Amino acid sequence: MSGQPASSRGDKVSRRDFLKLLAAAGAVVTFTPFIDWGKFLPNPAGSANEKGKVELPDGSQANVKTFKVNHSEAIIYPKSDDPVLNEEAFRTWQFIRLPSELGGDKNEASAFRVYSMVCLHLWCLWKYWPGEGRKRGECPCHGSLYDPLTGKAFAGPASLQSPPSNVLPRLDLEVDKDGNVWILPPNWSVNGNGVVGFGRFIT
Amino acid sequence: MGMKFTIPTRFVSPLGFLGMLTFILFIILGITGAFLMLWYEPILDRAWDSVENINDTIPYGFHMRNIHYHASNAMVMMAILHMYYQYFSGRYKIRNEILWVTGILIGVLTILEAFTGYDIIFSERAELAISIAASLTNSIPILGPDMRAAFFGSGFHDFILRFYAFHVFFLPIVLIGLMALHFPRFMVFDVPMVMAIAGAVMITGGVFPVDMGLKFDPNVPPGITVPEWYLTGLYAFLRSQYDKFVTGVAWPGLFIFTLLIVPFIDRYKKFSWKDRPIITAIGITSIAQIVVTTYWGFYIDPDRTKSLLERLVIDPIFLYSVMIALVPLSFGFTYLMIKLVKNAEANAKKQPKKSEATITLPEKWIYYVFVALIGFQIYLNIAAYYAVLNGMKNISLFIIGIIMLVFAGMYHLYRHGRFNANNPPAPTIPIREKIKSDEQKSLEDSSIPKDQLSYENQTKSKGLLNTLLGKGKKSRTSFEKMWNRE
Repeated sequence: MSGQPASSRGDKVSRRDFLKLLAAAGAVVTFTPFIDWGKFLPNPAGSANEKGKVELPDGSQANVKTFKVNHSEAIIYPKSDDPVLNEEAFRTWQFIRLPSELGGDKNEASAFRVYSMVCLHLWCLWKYWPGEGRKRGECPCHGSLYDPLTGKAFAGPASLQSPPSNVLPRLDLEVDKDGNVWILPPNWSVNGNGVVGFGRFIT
Repeated sequence: MGMKFTIPTRFVSPLGFLGMLTFILFIILGITGAFLMLWYEPILDRAWDSVENINDTIPYGFHMRNIHYHASNAMVMMAILHMYYQYFSGRYKIRNEILWVTGILIGVLTILEAFTGYDIIFSERAELAISIAASLTNSIPILGPDMRAAFFGSGFHDFILRFYAFHVFFLPIVLIGLMALHFPRFMVFDVPMVMAIAGAVMITGGVFPVDMGLKFDPNVPPGITVPEWYLTGLYAFLRSQYDKFVTGVAWPGLFIFTLLIVPFIDRYKKFSWKDRPIITAIGITSIAQIVVTTYWGFYIDPDRTKSLLERLVIDPIFLYSVMIALVPLSFGFTYLMIKLVKNAEANAKKQPKKSEATITLPEKWIYYVFVALIGFQIYLNIAAYYAVLNGMKNISLFIIGIIMLVFAGMYHLYRHGRFNANNPPAPTIPIREKIKSDEQKSLEDSSIPKDQLSYENQTKSKGLLNTLLGKGKKSRTSFEKMWNRE
């Protein structure tokens, strides 16, 4: 039996090949569940599925009725219980109520913007300046300037970077009937809410 | 794969065992790095402070950190020199392709290892490096964002912890694995050279102690920082502000890929650089381009009246034109050199052979010098001890480096004395002539064509190597074994 060539039995697949095929299939089936384990590597902390509060530095939730026009605050998102993690530059966002000429007077979500404070050039923390004639985000390090309406860099080194690295990541907002401002679950991709420290495509 | 391990009895040119020196530096880095792990804390707000603690407070922490830092630079340097020596001497042939390919991979990982190392200090310069690395990873089409999420996590906290894990475990373990594959058939462990390289590292640490940099604070404008010297070449390309993926990923990737396939495109039957003009010219071109871009990456217009951007940005057209112009220049230079060297060799053949000069120290003087060196060592030990007591850390490190160098000299002297004792000098002319003719015969007997024996040409021109290969029978036979193996 063992010395008999496969062709004489009329089989198209020899016993050996069939066994090999089974072994290969077994190996694939055995290791398939581990493909999903690649998710071990990315940090899941940033991917929230629920709405988050816009928590101002004084601990209160931002409200459209009380938050001043043409004003900004630094907020932490996603906020953790660990004070060290909350100091993380990548969790600091600039919560801006636009000046009235850009529609900041409306008591709705379109009057607000939340942009990552990490400058797209070399990751310093920029900040919104409400003064007359400024009304823009300015990075203290190399002078990149950001448009508060779109988050796009219009001057300085960040503006020279090719898309998506010239537009700040942005969080989507929602206002409930009490006027409280909520952050919608973000989609961390360049085509969604953007990647912190890298950028976003304007859609 | 049988491996031959040699401790040479005479001075051998270190060019042949640069790889061994790289490995020694790797061991030094492993030991000092393990000790640094006892104090370093890879945490967002504490990383820089813990390095400062090591540097300023922990006894001998300054020494450990400086040895670790300078040995890492030396390792990258040695790896590059080792690669180019193997490249120009054509040793990646004769079934050494696997050694070459693993060697290139080890080189790339070595640079990554050094890179992750200086990032986890989390100074301003480290932050610059991390931000560039992250944006380059992100710029890779399709896979980039996922790769960034996988390798860098999100935010500085993850970066530091992950780079630390890569630095102390993932990369070294892969390096060790590749090194096991990379081990050559013929290995030289030269004690004086090992001591000298360790001493040189410490002396550099004493003279140029590495600074702490400034702690990174995202609210404070950083000063102008440039990366470590082995990355400034890449930095010059990045500073041209051209597309990130092309300049930061595609160009270095192309360079590494070219190096990987060199043994498979080099169809020359000969080994010597003089007989492989195109390969040699490509090598010279790469060296010229590396040197120019490395310098360019460091250079920042000192004119402070200009805006920072103007000072930093390199005109891409200028940069790329220079890169292209270097190609014909290097090719011309190489072909000219080959022509000149071949002419010089042809002329040298016509001249009568000069007898080589050797330094032989009388036995009595060997003892005197030895005792004097030990006395010097004792003095240096006391000096190093006092320097530590007085808080002069870099001076003590410098002196310890000198001690290592003196030990290297002592070992060499010991070796010299032992060699003389084993081979009593009886330099009567007939015997020497006889040895020479025997050598000539044994060379002619070997099956290799003469022009392939790269060392043979050197014996004619270099006295030092001549003494080594003419008298050090041990190493000669090992070399021959290596070359004869098919």
